Amino acid sequence: MRNSVNRPPTPDAAEDLGKEPMFQEIINIKLIESGEKERLMELLRERLIECGWKDEMKALCRAFIKKKGRNDVTVDDLVRVITPKGRASIPDYIKAELLQRIRAYLVQAAV
Amino acid sequence: MSSKINHHHHHHRFNTQIFPPPCPHLAEFRARNGSKPFRALQDCLRVKPPGGRAAIRRDPSEVPRCGACGESARPRLYACLACAAISCHAPPGPSHAAAHATSMPPGHEIAVDVDRAEIFCCACRDQVYDRDFDAAVVLSQTATLKSATIQSAKPENLRKRRRVDYRPWSPDIRDRVLMETGSSPLENGSDLPRGLRGLNNLGNTCFMNSVLQALLHTPPLRNYFLSDRHNRYYCKKKNGVSNSNAGGKRNVGTADGHGNKNARLCLACDMDAMFSAVFSGDRKPYSPAKFLYSWWQHASNLASYEQQDAHEFFISMLDGIHENVEKDRHKPHSQGHGDCCIAHRVFSGILRSDVMCMTCGFTSTTYDPCVDISLDLEPHQGGSSKSVSTKTHHSCNGEVDGMNPGQNCGISTLMGCLDRFTRPERLGADQKFFCQQCQVRQESLKQMSIRKLPLVSCFHIKRFEHSSIRKMSRKVDRYLQFPFSLDMTPYLSSSILRNRFGNRIFPFDGDEPDASNEMSSEFELFAVVTHTGKLDAGHYVTYLRLSNQWYKCDDAWVTQVNENIVRAAQGYMMFYVQKMLYYKASENRAVS
Repeated sequence: MRNSVNRPPTPDAAEDLGKEPMFQEIINIKLIESGEKERLMELLRERLIECGWKDEMKALCRAFIKKKGRNDVTVDDLVRVITPKGRASIPDYIKAELLQRIRAYLVQAAV
Repeated sequence: MSSKINHHHHHHRFNTQIFPPPCPHLAEFRARNGSKPFRALQDCLRVKPPGGRAAIRRDPSEVPRCGACGESARPRLYACLACAAISCHAPPGPSHAAAHATSMPPGHEIAVDVDRAEIFCCACRDQVYDRDFDAAVVLSQTATLKSATIQSAKPENLRKRRRVDYRPWSPDIRDRVLMETGSSPLENGSDLPRGLRGLNNLGNTCFMNSVLQALLHTPPLRNYFLSDRHNRYYCKKKNGVSNSNAGGKRNVGTADGHGNKNARLCLACDMDAMFSAVFSGDRKPYSPAKFLYSWWQHASNLASYEQQDAHEFFISMLDGIHENVEKDRHKPHSQGHGDCCIAHRVFSGILRSDVMCMTCGFTSTTYDPCVDISLDLEPHQGGSSKSVSTKTHHSCNGEVDGMNPGQNCGISTLMGCLDRFTRPERLGADQKFFCQQCQVRQESLKQMSIRKLPLVSCFHIKRFEHSSIRKMSRKVDRYLQFPFSLDMTPYLSSSILRNRFGNRIFPFDGDEPDASNEMSSEFELFAVVTHTGKLDAGHYVTYLRLSNQWYKCDDAWVTQVNENIVRAAQGYMMFYVQKMLYYKASENRAVS
């Protein structure tokens, strides 16, 4: 696949950029400028705290730090350790709610 | 004050908080620039109420982009403190932030996360901490979120309570003679420790017996009564010397049973009698009939032979002891500090409640005394909805240490309940709170924390739900895991406040004087009141921990049990005592 998700686009690869990254860019900027991104982030934070996801991630971090030793852990290590589990454990209803919000925003922003 | 360059790897303590030493790059950066770049950053600090999240933006509408790849949707974007270049950092992909640090001349290693206002060393590839930077961030956060303290039972804590060191004492010759002439030796060699005595059930009174057993072995309470601090023979209240009674009748000396009811009623005297009886060495089960009768007079609405709620009895009893205390004009009547009576001295703490307006960030703070903490036991504890518990079950079993409090997926724990008790709670559209700044009812965020810990913490688990809407009651049988040792530090107001502003080295808020240090936050479990059976047909039993042995007190029957029985029991009320009791400097000059 040309646009692998793991490879960030390099500056001189303009010819590699298809339509999608441009579209994503536009949406992202629109979300930020209207303040909707901030609102969505706040909503997401609230939901993830409510359902205990944040506490679980905290626990995973603590367990990892306990194993490795406090002075041998970097923030990159922690991000690496919890990211797969974190992504996998987000409850479906939260994903659904956010997608719905984004969809609603796009509809009214397109008008 | 410039921070010292620290080449040692031990951590400093600043206001009892540990903060990590700077990495060599940060140290060099500070040496070269002082705190000037941090001050420049202050202009770029954007704090958004509510919640007060701090971000770094050159102008409010800036959309930060990585200078190398042009991406703006990266989760972590760092702005170099030396040249303000923004780079992304998204391992395992290439880190443009690290590339920036290596490609530039030395001095460009330190950067700030633009969305979190946290500093990062691109050479060490790890977060670093700087006291001056964090102070600047916290300053702008607190300036944005103005706060006020409402005058509702504000604690008069300004007279600082001096702590006195423990001085060991042993009797001298005269003391020994006094002790020997005034006492008789107690028999040795009984298998049960002193003070263990069954309580007869007088007709569905296990609710009372269970709480009494816990109180009889509450160390400060036991010490108070056994050291004769409330003597039932000399009690003025009971003997009717007090002339505060409305009726004006005076019963001097012995009461004939038809005397003024108030003059004779003193729950503390009945407690004193019970302590004497229970600790006398007599092992025959004791009938707390007198106490029951006195309590019925105090709480007449609960006077019946029906089963009552043990927690309700506990509150009622403490209230009874408080009411019947000698109302000494010299004593301040401050419940929160326990200056009024022994019940509050032992059990009373202070809770702090912060309500923050979601629109403008204005926070109002109130303080209220409490004699216990009632915790919800909701069905979906251990965090998550069903999909999460199944998915993370494996990872939790593998990764999470058994000692990790409160986070074993799927099991409710006491610390989990306390986490939820102190978690910010949204007061939604139907519970809008009046905001002083907006002058209108707004949606708010409420957070509880513990301002002052009591000597003995009683945790009450809300297992009995009474719904007036549906006109039914039910019992929640869900198991709750509770620890034998408990550290209350994370639930203190100082900890909660510190965490509110994120991962900062937090300069101590002047409003919260150091009400506790590390030692006085550690508690040990000594009694558990359990409930088995149904809501209307159940039984209370108390487990007591004496000299690290557990005993089951089931009305008249007291037996030694293994600690695992206790761990598996259905806890309804758990009693924890402070591990280290401090002596308050005496305010009485006459006492040495």
